[in-house]
Amino acid sequence: MRKLSASTALGLGCIAFALILAFLWIPLDTETGLVERSRGRNIVGDGLAPTLAAAFILIAGVMLLLEQSENDLHPNGNNLFFIGAIAVCGVTGILLMRWSGPAVAIFAGGEEYRLLRDTVPWKYVGFGLGGVTMIFGMISFVEERLSWRALWIALAAVTGIIVLYDLPFDDVLLPPNGDV
Amino acid sequence: MTDVGTLDYIWLGIQAVFLGPEAFSIFGLSISITVLMVAFGLILGIIVGATPGLGGVIAMAISLPILISIFGFNSDALLPVLGFLIGVMKGSTVGGAVPAILFNTPGTPDAFMTTLDGYPMAQSGKAQKALKISHFSSVSGDTFSDIVLIVCAPFLAILVEAYLDLPEKTALLILSLSFIAAVVGGSAAKGLLSCGLGLLAVFIGTGEDFYPRLSLGTAALSDGIPITAAVIGILVIGAIFTELENLWHQTRNTGKIEIAKDVGDQRLHWADIKRILPYIWRSAAIGTSIGALPGIGSTLAATIGYATGKRFYARQKTPEDPNFGEGAPEGIAATEAANSSVSGANLIPVLSLGIPGNTAAVFLILAADSIGGFNPGPAVFKFSTDLNPELVVAFGLFTTMILANFLNWTIGGVFMRSLGFLVRIPKQYLLPVVLLLTLASLYVQETAMSAIWFAFGFGVLGYFMRLFGISPLPFVIGFVLGGRLEETARQAFSATGGDPFFLLKSPIAAVFILSAVAIIFFSLRKPKAAKL
Repeated sequence: MRKLSASTALGLGCIAFALILAFLWIPLDTETGLVERSRGRNIVGDGLAPTLAAAFILIAGVMLLLEQSENDLHPNGNNLFFIGAIAVCGVTGILLMRWSGPAVAIFAGGEEYRLLRDTVPWKYVGFGLGGVTMIFGMISFVEERLSWRALWIALAAVTGIIVLYDLPFDDVLLPPNGDV
Repeated sequence: MTDVGTLDYIWLGIQAVFLGPEAFSIFGLSISITVLMVAFGLILGIIVGATPGLGGVIAMAISLPILISIFGFNSDALLPVLGFLIGVMKGSTVGGAVPAILFNTPGTPDAFMTTLDGYPMAQSGKAQKALKISHFSSVSGDTFSDIVLIVCAPFLAILVEAYLDLPEKTALLILSLSFIAAVVGGSAAKGLLSCGLGLLAVFIGTGEDFYPRLSLGTAALSDGIPITAAVIGILVIGAIFTELENLWHQTRNTGKIEIAKDVGDQRLHWADIKRILPYIWRSAAIGTSIGALPGIGSTLAATIGYATGKRFYARQKTPEDPNFGEGAPEGIAATEAANSSVSGANLIPVLSLGIPGNTAAVFLILAADSIGGFNPGPAVFKFSTDLNPELVVAFGLFTTMILANFLNWTIGGVFMRSLGFLVRIPKQYLLPVVLLLTLASLYVQETAMSAIWFAFGFGVLGYFMRLFGISPLPFVIGFVLGGRLEETARQAFSATGGDPFFLLKSPIAAVFILSAVAIIFFSLRKPKAAKL
């Protein structure tokens, strides 16, 4: 059997996604269809615009099957490993950013984090821990080694961002303090 | 109250820039905040342009929330913020040539062609002269394109308002999206896919019904996807991931950077200028024509400008002159004038039609949307006798562009030539820091952790799009224009009494729609080389 080119696979994927979008997702997840009758006149329904997007994707899929391309660009195992590792660093950093402040507040046995989120040092716990983890993790992964230098850079960067945003502006809140 | 004429609007725009709120005064001369912000923006733009891995887009993404925090959401904030962004846009174009000439590393993609002659000149001890040629050509091209913008945009806008009704405007938006999808990137199919995904993303959680469409019943999607999260995720975070991956692959074979010492005369003489001027004007005309069409980037302008200059040079050069690609100053001039002249012309579709043609324009629209009081589009250029504040802002914007060019001519070159050290900053340290700074900036603007999650997710999508050779620009432009497309179509449909063929009834709208179909059809027949 002939191996599928990346363009062909992408084209088939687009066609399948566009059909699911047009015939399942849009009809089941939209209140009105393409055109509705309201107060005696026709009006555009909420389903029309996403259907146009689905048409763009469908046409793109068909064109990908027809288009002759010399460069059959597609992700390989290395790419997936890289983005997986970077995503782990990023997601861990964001989760720590969101939850470490409230967690530390609970363990410290003090007040609820919501009441502490605009006071030093509580307001820096999440951003500091999450930010340092994210930067340190990404640098270490790219350099393929752990280094003190990466840690100092992460700490300096987080401190710099706090100085940039938190110190000069009273009404600016660093993550996650605006919506915890 | 007296009637306001065209010259009054121009004068009010100039006054809004120079006589706005004062930042400080020197010897009794008041310097307005807008003037100061244009200068800051230009300096920041030159710095980020000269730093490989960074660029004007990242600088704009990070600065916008800070600027809004400083200036607030009122009409007085418009000119300082937009002026700053204009300064960044112009500065980054100039700065991109620094690492290209000194280290054979283009600071921005459009500076790649500059390496071909700039680096050989630097290696032969003419680095300072190459930088001066690059600066002179770049600012000349930029100034030329700004003049074209200032002259053309108001007329184009007046024509649009006079001749295009709702169905024609809807058709024009569809034509613009098709055109951008077809010309950006190496494949029309991939451009169309990118545009379709952008449209889909912007339609999630929006609409006129009580139930937020396509939200899958989740709270996260029911408020829609924040535009800044989508734009920053796809453009900035996706690019950071791609750049980090290149570094990951290069970890083991990074070499030491060697710098050739300057020898001989480094000054730019009138004879040099006379030699490069024909190349500058030719490339500036090419860049401006290309820039006026939405979606065609400065990289293509640089390539065509360079190729045209090369043909002309082959006929003119003496046997002892270096060839293009071997250190010819004309090669730098042809490239830099072409890529810089795109930036001003790219604002023609934004200001006259409200259609962003490049990423810098997207950020100008984001800034105007966030602050309020200025909606780029044909309605801005209503020369009504009652004061139209948006028109004053538009002429203020033109004034900031002229001011940025003046600053670029005077201090930009000196500043640019002092930034060679920036290339030594290790990108593996810089990029994760920029990522966190970008996410923090986004949060400051949106105040919701969901915006950070969306941006990170769109960053991953942007990374995969780049792996497949799909340009993220049509996605962003689809996202920015999607809401307006739907709103205009709804109004046009109602205004024509629910006619399902409202896009084909008027001859102009029909021509636009047929052109959109033809562009996609013909681009399918002729696959292009990959370009950004």
